[in-house]
Amino acid sequence: MGTTASQLGKELLSEYQELTFLTKQEILLAHKRFTELLTKDEKDIPNVRIPMERILTLPELKSNPFRKRICLVFSTSEQKDGSLTFEDFLDLLSAFSDSATLEIKSHYAFRIFDFDDDGTLDFNDLQTLVNCLTGETDETRLTPEEMSQLINNILEESDIDKDGTVNLSEFQHVISRSPDFVSSFKIVL
Amino acid sequence: MSTYNNGGFFNPAYHDSETLEIDKRSPNRSRHTNPYAGDSSGVRPDVYPTSELSRDTGRAPWGGRPEQSWDGGTGIPMDLLSTHPVNPAWRPEHSNMTMRWRGLTMKRMFQNSESNLPFADNAIMTQVENEEMNLVRDLVAMSTRDRVRAIRNLPMSFQEKKHIRNQVLALISSKKSRKSACLGDCSEQFSRSYRKCSSNVKSARQTLELWQGIMKEIGGKFGTSVLSYFVFLKWLLMFNIFSFLVNFGFITIPQLVYDQSPDKPANASFRGLELLTGAGYFNNTVMYYGSYSNDTLIGAVNYKMQLGYFFTIAAYMVFCGVVLIFSMANSFKTNYALADSTSSGAWQLLCSWDFSITNERAVRQRKNNLRIQLKESLSEKAQRKQLTTSEKLKHFGIHLGSWLLSTALTFGCVASIFFLCQYEQRRMSDSGSFSPLQEAETLLVPFVVSLMNMVVPLFFSLFNKFEHFSSQRRQIYALVLRNVLLRMCILGVLCYYWMNMVATKFSCWESVVGQALYRLVIVDFIFLLLGSFFGEFLSYVVGTRFLPRLGVPEFDVARNVLEIIYAQTLAWIGIYFSPLLPVIQILKFFILFYIKSLMRNCQPPRQTGRAAQMKTIFTALLFFPFFIGALSIVGYTAWSLTPSEHCGPFRGLNSTFTVVELWIGDVEEIPGSEWVVFIYQKIIRSEVFYFLITLIILVVVYIFWQVSQGRKQLIVLLRRQIVNEGKDKLFLLEKLQDLQKSQPNQRPKPKNKSKTKLHLEEFSSNGSSNSNAMVQVLLARQRAEEEEERERVRGLPVPVESTNLTHDRQQSSSNALALAMQARQRAESQTREEYYSRAGFTENHVNYQHRADEQEENSPTSVNSVMMQVMQARQQAEEEEEEELKRMQWVPAASQNPAPSSALIQAMLARQQAQNEYDDGY
Repeated sequence: MGTTASQLGKELLSEYQELTFLTKQEILLAHKRFTELLTKDEKDIPNVRIPMERILTLPELKSNPFRKRICLVFSTSEQKDGSLTFEDFLDLLSAFSDSATLEIKSHYAFRIFDFDDDGTLDFNDLQTLVNCLTGETDETRLTPEEMSQLINNILEESDIDKDGTVNLSEFQHVISRSPDFVSSFKIVL
Repeated sequence: MSTYNNGGFFNPAYHDSETLEIDKRSPNRSRHTNPYAGDSSGVRPDVYPTSELSRDTGRAPWGGRPEQSWDGGTGIPMDLLSTHPVNPAWRPEHSNMTMRWRGLTMKRMFQNSESNLPFADNAIMTQVENEEMNLVRDLVAMSTRDRVRAIRNLPMSFQEKKHIRNQVLALISSKKSRKSACLGDCSEQFSRSYRKCSSNVKSARQTLELWQGIMKEIGGKFGTSVLSYFVFLKWLLMFNIFSFLVNFGFITIPQLVYDQSPDKPANASFRGLELLTGAGYFNNTVMYYGSYSNDTLIGAVNYKMQLGYFFTIAAYMVFCGVVLIFSMANSFKTNYALADSTSSGAWQLLCSWDFSITNERAVRQRKNNLRIQLKESLSEKAQRKQLTTSEKLKHFGIHLGSWLLSTALTFGCVASIFFLCQYEQRRMSDSGSFSPLQEAETLLVPFVVSLMNMVVPLFFSLFNKFEHFSSQRRQIYALVLRNVLLRMCILGVLCYYWMNMVATKFSCWESVVGQALYRLVIVDFIFLLLGSFFGEFLSYVVGTRFLPRLGVPEFDVARNVLEIIYAQTLAWIGIYFSPLLPVIQILKFFILFYIKSLMRNCQPPRQTGRAAQMKTIFTALLFFPFFIGALSIVGYTAWSLTPSEHCGPFRGLNSTFTVVELWIGDVEEIPGSEWVVFIYQKIIRSEVFYFLITLIILVVVYIFWQVSQGRKQLIVLLRRQIVNEGKDKLFLLEKLQDLQKSQPNQRPKPKNKSKTKLHLEEFSSNGSSNSNAMVQVLLARQRAEEEEERERVRGLPVPVESTNLTHDRQQSSSNALALAMQARQRAESQTREEYYSRAGFTENHVNYQHRADEQEENSPTSVNSVMMQVMQARQQAEEEEEEELKRMQWVPAASQNPAPSSALIQAMLARQQAQNEYDDGY
């Protein structure tokens, strides 16, 4: 613990504390876990990016059906390859932490569910979402009729302005009405 | 393409209509349009900072993203664009540019286009800086705490937040240095240290958090709903630890200090059976009410045992009540007031995916469950309508039958317990010392009670299987209700027995009741252990080894939570009779936690959703029947029952509450304490006071109720309004779509002039919204073109002025139009170049330029030859459309073409803008 603390520096640590929803311990733990993912050569490079594949070896993310989306959403990489710097990683943990607000959580959930990054959840996004959650194989997948019925139900329920897609405010509206979301949208290291 | 897909295709255009046509026309265009200026400056000044901020963050994603989809939709691949070289001069500005989402995506957008032109850079940078300035200004105006929170709440990446924060801090410090106020400095210092302190406390609390690792593991394996059981258990454990500390500190320690060896009968020796029965050896220890003295302990201060006992118990009960009310109200607020009962649907399931699950098998299982639930919800919806009357009658009959059966069962249990108690009472002597057999006999009642608590719910579950419930939730509620009823009735009859029979028969009846409660707690604990061994472990073994078709048992959250609620109720009732009962309770919960968390035999429950609502219900249950029940029993004991004459702190008093009266009598003698007496006489003891308070509370409740009714109506109205707006939007989008489908052949510009002018006039009043106007102009132009086109082709009647003219014009204008079209295209290509070379233009200039682009004839420079052609074309058109021209004179800027559908277009634009704002607000 002591070494990681000295690596991070007091100033930086308090900045991290102020800008994220994480406590000191959580930041230190995150830093520890992050440096464990680094190879030897990378350890000295400042602001090093860990490629998505290596991030996904974390047990907390390994079996998450949205793991790739999570990395892509939180990555600030120019190449859109889902690689994370430590600060991206902190961002991720902050959004998934216990104390993050509903607004932040729903914002990021929306972006995670928005598979084609077009700013709305349309039919295809919802279909991918449902497939993600029910399993990708043919036998576990819903039949096309069920799927279209389900998505029509979803849209009927949440698409208030009837434009055929769910936008962020509609999504946040839905989220605010499903109380389980806050407790389940959580990743703890 | 289905309707929905179409809608989706158009939706981004709708949300940011400004970007719509531009990107479609050519990627280059986007650089001199700034869609964001208008709405930010238009609304900003009069909006409260925080809400403004949240509004901004709320609408962030469509700030800039839509153009992506639009690009995709119009066949300009994003990737292609993003490979364009980026102006090196642009690079250094990056960190400055990264603003809210919009800023960010705007940057992306401009990177995409090969913007080597400083002009574009300038425009954008001004814009983004404006945005940033506004945000920073809002943040500076906030208090430190709000600011930290607001920055933390911005949905953007860490780097961007950091940048904003640095800017804000820089601004603040520059302001500070100007003022150089010591006071501000001090308060800053104070708030900083406060923040530091609170974050330290937070992290310390996290370190001290009990069972963090286990909790995480449970959450990872079983998900949140099972985890909520453990959280609940831990919460109750905290209650008991607090209660133990209070009781031990204020009741037991003074007693022990005062008198180390309370008079115990000589024959009392520890035999081991006492651990179960609580009688015998324990009878005369500080465990029970009976062995506390009623004296005033003389030490450094006088400690009145009676008052200490009374107020400790009272304070603890009040504390529990307050905590329960707050946590209940809180979870009602978040889980019920907001939860929409009508939407039982798929979203709930999709949103309740547990991100905390880390176990591969659990993930698979959960996916399976989710699929089944989704299918069920679909079939449920389909099924609901098909119930015939006879089926309904049948269901009703089964419900009625099972309710009758379960109620009968409950009353049977209650009656048998009552007779058993009477039998026990006859057998027990008041001597205080039992033979081992007699002592063991006392275990009969707790044994039967616990057995009933364990077995009867199984019958209830059995009934439940035969019943047909329309929803899962109702099934759980019915089950919970029956179980609660059973436990309440059993506790009720036990209390009746204690209060009415034990209290009159035994000389030190409080201790007897305490012992009975002790036994109940212990036996209940044993049954819990047995239950989790047989119910969960054995059925796991059977389910995996012998009868795989039975499957692994599920972890039944509802049953388990009810069990611990019941256990806690026993502890609450017992707190008066046996102040150290919380110790037993702590041990019990502690062991239970480990047993349950080590029993990895269960599988997570199939029904995953609604965990939060279940938790609310359990908190409410804990409060309403159970805590209130315990409180009223303790209250009844303290107010109405005569304490035993020869033991306990209240010996010799009429009722426990008399202590307070006596104390007030003492207080009266102390000078300066009249107010205490006054409060006691006029408030605590006066009926009028309570009467008035009740009246006032009723009135307030009524008013709040009315207000909430009003709000409900308002919500319905607003909802209707949203739906209407949505319909409008859909209609307009369809219109737009139609227009776009009808091949927009390029035709001459002149007609646009009037509209452009109008727009310019419209927006010129709004200084910084020019670029918005620009975009709108562009939009309007294209739409007008298309409208015109369509009109020309189909000869549709146009809603506005020119209906009577359209016919003539249709033929006459076509050749002129063709000419002008060519001219315009050439002009455009030239103007564009010229355009971007003008670096130092302000936005108004930009606008001007823009207009030039659209109406080449007004362009001040360089495009003369093309202009000439256009002029010619226009003249031709003028000649050919004389009538029209005459009619057009009303437009100040002598436009040549009537722009027939301008009214419609303007309406569309206005609608879209309004809708955008509406969306933001929403």
